[in-house]
Amino acid sequence: MARLDGSTLAHGIGGAQDLPISPELAIAGAVAALTVSFTVLAVAWRTPRYDDGETGRPAPGWIDTLVAHPAFRVGLRVLGMMLFLYTAMAAVFGQDRVTNPFFGIFYVWWWVGLVPFSLLLGPVWKAISPVRTINLAFAKVSGGDPDEGIFRYPERLGYWPAAVGLFAFVWMELVYPYSTELGPVRLWCAVYVAAMLLGGALFGNTFYERADPFEVYSSLVAKMSVWGTRDGRVVVRSPLANLSTVVARPGLVAVTAVLFGSTAFDSFRDSTTWLNFLQEHDIITTNGAVGPDTAAAIANNLALLTFCAGIGIIFALATMATGVDPEIDRRSLPNRFAHSIVPIIVGYIVAHYLTYFVEVGQLTLILASDPFGDGSNYLGTGDLQVNYWLSYHPTLLANTKVAAVVVGHVLGVIAAHDRAIKVLPARHQLTGQLPLLFAMVGFTAGGLFLLFAA
Amino acid sequence: MRNRPTRRVLASAAVIVATLALTSACGDEEEPPAGNGEPVSFDITFDGDTVTPRGAEETIAKGSDIELVVEADKPGELHVHSSPEQQVEYGAGTTTIPVKLANQAPGVVDIESHDLDQVVIRLTIR
Repeated sequence: MARLDGSTLAHGIGGAQDLPISPELAIAGAVAALTVSFTVLAVAWRTPRYDDGETGRPAPGWIDTLVAHPAFRVGLRVLGMMLFLYTAMAAVFGQDRVTNPFFGIFYVWWWVGLVPFSLLLGPVWKAISPVRTINLAFAKVSGGDPDEGIFRYPERLGYWPAAVGLFAFVWMELVYPYSTELGPVRLWCAVYVAAMLLGGALFGNTFYERADPFEVYSSLVAKMSVWGTRDGRVVVRSPLANLSTVVARPGLVAVTAVLFGSTAFDSFRDSTTWLNFLQEHDIITTNGAVGPDTAAAIANNLALLTFCAGIGIIFALATMATGVDPEIDRRSLPNRFAHSIVPIIVGYIVAHYLTYFVEVGQLTLILASDPFGDGSNYLGTGDLQVNYWLSYHPTLLANTKVAAVVVGHVLGVIAAHDRAIKVLPARHQLTGQLPLLFAMVGFTAGGLFLLFAA
Repeated sequence: MRNRPTRRVLASAAVIVATLALTSACGDEEEPPAGNGEPVSFDITFDGDTVTPRGAEETIAKGSDIELVVEADKPGELHVHSSPEQQVEYGAGTTTIPVKLANQAPGVVDIESHDLDQVVIRLTIR
């Protein structure tokens, strides 16, 4: 009776979802976040500690030697290129079914996997990015310099292209109705690769640093790792010190707003509230103008946009609601504080995606062995079974999720505090932090509420 | 003066540790009764473009299987979003479909009508 064919699954890939966390746990997490926030404000240091980028111990010699070694760099590029070609092969010659590993590689390994790998190892996408590799190969062939393009990358553009690219990804994943059909997802990837190669040719490697959505995401999360560089050498430093070296450019707030807003929307759209709205409310079900399917699609689009824009606007207002010295442009504050939201995003992403990454990630490894759906087992992983240990320990899982959210919140508050005492005038340093502190507590409490309600 | 920042750091650390301990101490869930081997039965009725129930929230114990008793005016397909996913078909008239969920880890499994693109039952497994 049971079978698995290739038809569209409105749920995207992945099966059962986590149990909601208990209300007690959600409240305990929110109270912890609130308490810690004000404790940080009351007892933390009063002179900036992190803003120099000069801190950090040199990494052990062998790490420095390894990372600087050309063979290591080439090896990573080859690895990235192999993954890219294998994925492209499944995308082009594989079947249009959810069992095609292309979907898992695209939505789970690439999008979600980027976070743990960058957190542990540093800017991984920069090291393996196939679009950088192709650009490098073009430059070698034509005798050019991959760092140089025809034009200089406009400063005003900043991270805005990356924010747009990230939004395009989450739109594809979360609201586009055919997100598990091969054609559209393949087209998305083709447009991405084309845009990246064109951008690299026009603006050189700077384009990847600021406009490749995946590199910007990966490198931003990598700022929460212990790995940094100083004078071309690898150093080990505290994640908070590392985080303060994020360069504030235009569009940074937009990048963080899309990342955070879309993850929150993903929780929200799984909630029974939203489900009942889409399935029961008259404005959807008896919509005479466009019909129920289109009405639901429009509602999803609007909700995603509202979450992303809402986070960005709240954050921008909260950072600007302070007294500033006359020589500081108030409108520069949101981007200068935007790094402080990164730990909150990472904590929430851990909470939201942990089981999905572990379990659908394993499933993808199993499916990846048979990219064409013809029963072959190229990688030898086809006979493995998914280990559901994590799902069988729901209490541990729920505690881990809430702990991740609270730790992310605490790190975010500390990062914001350090930046506030650096950029705000002395008499506004405490009061000036309050609006942002409230916004952060709101984000964290809201995230916990969604983990509880979804 | 010199060691004041250190004391602040220690104080902050103490608060963080204490609150983390607080957050992780709560939230112990009680064990639900284990399944008794009998599948749990759910009725689903399709009539034209409507399905009953719609978005119903149900809970079963970990280790239980279910059966769907489907009454329909035309054949169709249901998706069970377990891990792994399952798809089941029904014909016109009344069909009883056994669905294996005994090996499903605790979580939330949506049972969705493929043809109407609607969640029929949202099943919580504890």
